[in-house]
Amino acid sequence: MKKTVRKIFFVWEYEKEEQWLNEMSKQGWQLTKATFGKFRFESGTPDEYTYRLELLDKSLSSKENTSYLNFLQDTGIEMVGECRQWIYLRCKTANGGFEPTNRTLYTLTHLLKIQEFIGTTKNKLVAMIALAMCGLLVMEQLDTSNLVDFIKGFCTGIGFAASFVTLAFNPFSRRINRKVKATINELYTCE
Amino acid sequence: MNKNENVVLTEAVFYILLALYSPLHGYGIMQETERMTGGRLKLSAGTLYGAISTMLEKNWIEAVSSDEESRRKEYRITGLGKVVVKTELVRLEELVDNGKKRIE
Repeated sequence: MKKTVRKIFFVWEYEKEEQWLNEMSKQGWQLTKATFGKFRFESGTPDEYTYRLELLDKSLSSKENTSYLNFLQDTGIEMVGECRQWIYLRCKTANGGFEPTNRTLYTLTHLLKIQEFIGTTKNKLVAMIALAMCGLLVMEQLDTSNLVDFIKGFCTGIGFAASFVTLAFNPFSRRINRKVKATINELYTCE
Repeated sequence: MNKNENVVLTEAVFYILLALYSPLHGYGIMQETERMTGGRLKLSAGTLYGAISTMLEKNWIEAVSSDEESRRKEYRITGLGKVVVKTELVRLEELVDNGKKRIE
């Protein structure tokens, strides 16, 4: 049996998304394909697979990532979906799942990648807000027409949406920073 | 001694270097490490990949050339890698000696 579930997770909800996929697995629904907001499941053995979301620091098709994915495949980890630089990985739960050898190191690497992602995304969003404002300013100089009104509306929309996402990143970003500090403290006592 | 050689190795790196005294590919390293430690140390794919990349850069290990084009790369320890292992072993012996002396 197959089913498709439409569900939106924002970037800052990646832990929730991972938990949800593993919960679905426990109920016997195995993810077979994932794109933004769309998940395809197939019914199978409950808890057969464990899922993990990973953020790549380069595009999926880059040479480094191709070799990384090949490496993962050799160790029994397969990629079932992608959404820009986020990839959906799964491996057999019986093979030990994704338990990292060095949890502290793993957590730190993961957090830093996410921080970098937030940084670049924020820059893009701020640029978008600036462009939208420029657009509005230019349109103010022109006489009203359908096209001018449309562009004004468009710029306002983009501006508002980008501002919202930029602000929404802040609490998430602070949480990541707190976690990085706590993880670094761990390093004083354990490998 | 080069500063690169005078380091404290992580447990994972120490075992990967030991495993690579004979050429192995990624999955082989995982199996060999698990065998050596009686199942205690299971290397995760992410850790192994990161460790291999770093050790290739440091020239502690090398890709076995005959297999260069194949998807499954094999690696082996270099002369420098062996020096690193021996240096680490001396440090570990000191650690064990001191530990035993104190608690016995």
